[in-house]
Amino acid sequence: MSGIDEAMLMALVDGELDEVNRRRVERAVAADPALAERLATHRRLRARLSGHYAPVAEEAVPKRFLALLEQESTMVPMRRRAPAWRGWATGGAIAASLVLGLGIGRFSSGTDAGPIGLHNGNLVAQGALADALDTQLASAQDDAAIRIGLSFRRKGGGWCRSFDGVVAGVACRQGKDWQVKQALPGAGHHAATYRRASSADARIMDTVESLIDGAPVDAVGEKMARSSGWQ
Amino acid sequence: MAFEHDLLAILPRLRRFAASLSRDRTDGDDLCQATLERALKARDQWQPGTRLDSWMYRIMRNLWIDEARSRQRAARTFAPEEAGAQVGHAGDRDIEAHMHLSDVERAMQSLPDEQREAIALVLVEGLSYKEAADLLDIPMGTLTSRLVRGRGALIELMGEAA
Repeated sequence: MSGIDEAMLMALVDGELDEVNRRRVERAVAADPALAERLATHRRLRARLSGHYAPVAEEAVPKRFLALLEQESTMVPMRRRAPAWRGWATGGAIAASLVLGLGIGRFSSGTDAGPIGLHNGNLVAQGALADALDTQLASAQDDAAIRIGLSFRRKGGGWCRSFDGVVAGVACRQGKDWQVKQALPGAGHHAATYRRASSADARIMDTVESLIDGAPVDAVGEKMARSSGWQ
Repeated sequence: MAFEHDLLAILPRLRRFAASLSRDRTDGDDLCQATLERALKARDQWQPGTRLDSWMYRIMRNLWIDEARSRQRAARTFAPEEAGAQVGHAGDRDIEAHMHLSDVERAMQSLPDEQREAIALVLVEGLSYKEAADLLDIPMGTLTSRLVRGRGALIELMGEAA
């Protein structure tokens, strides 16, 4: 035998040998077919085990785990953060009387051009707005034309999100749709370039407050809600 | 919160570790849930700046060991006549559950706990010997000898398939 024991072969497979020992084992293996076969067996074992369990880490994490974390991230920091989210409403309370001034003409036309359409008699988000509500995270939206403000659970259950763009407002998840609860003229494209509160902010905050159960979720809660499809 | 965020990122690996320790996926997810609950409760004990994954692996491993010990105690405590009518039923269920296991799972199941956890950390989770030894609070030499014995048993059990 070559003085190479099982532990050395194993350490080679596990990437734990230093350069000198690695060369030594490899030389011995090259000169000894029986040793080469044992090394191959160790390699196969490692590949088989890691291959067997690898798919577990690829699966979507079960909802009950997400719920545990989510509960934690909304409940624990709530007392500390509660006043902060109201800061979103810094825009002053200009009570602009023109409701739905922008885009409203398209709402009922049945074409898909606008951000809001009709579905079963309800105003629902469509196109880019629906996409933003589905996928966009408030924590990652640097250049987005539509900005997501708060994500929160409403009284009686279900998710709602506030948004700002050409149209600003609040939409709540209803099945696969986002029902628009409120739509006001938004901050337009400025929303994307610099973070200024639109005149609609105060009224949107009122809507949020009337709907919300508890506090808005933070970035983690938002992400988890998205991964469960806002259900 | 950064803590939940980091936990979320580690979760898939934790589930994998739990699956390799447990006898089936259901037990694995139960272990994973218990680990999460424990970690959330003990979050103040985690020191920011240290590795959260190691901390979580350790919690999971300790819960698993506790669970295994209490199972063994229960197995020793119940005399056959006390277990009575349940024996047949539980036995059937065990056999049935066993039939659904793959060769890999069956072989892992048959390893002594201290070999299984070493194999799981190094071969499945890909930890270095040092990381695994630190996590299990054992010297490197102890870890490597468990790895050698565990591998030998797995190769024997899985035969050519290994």
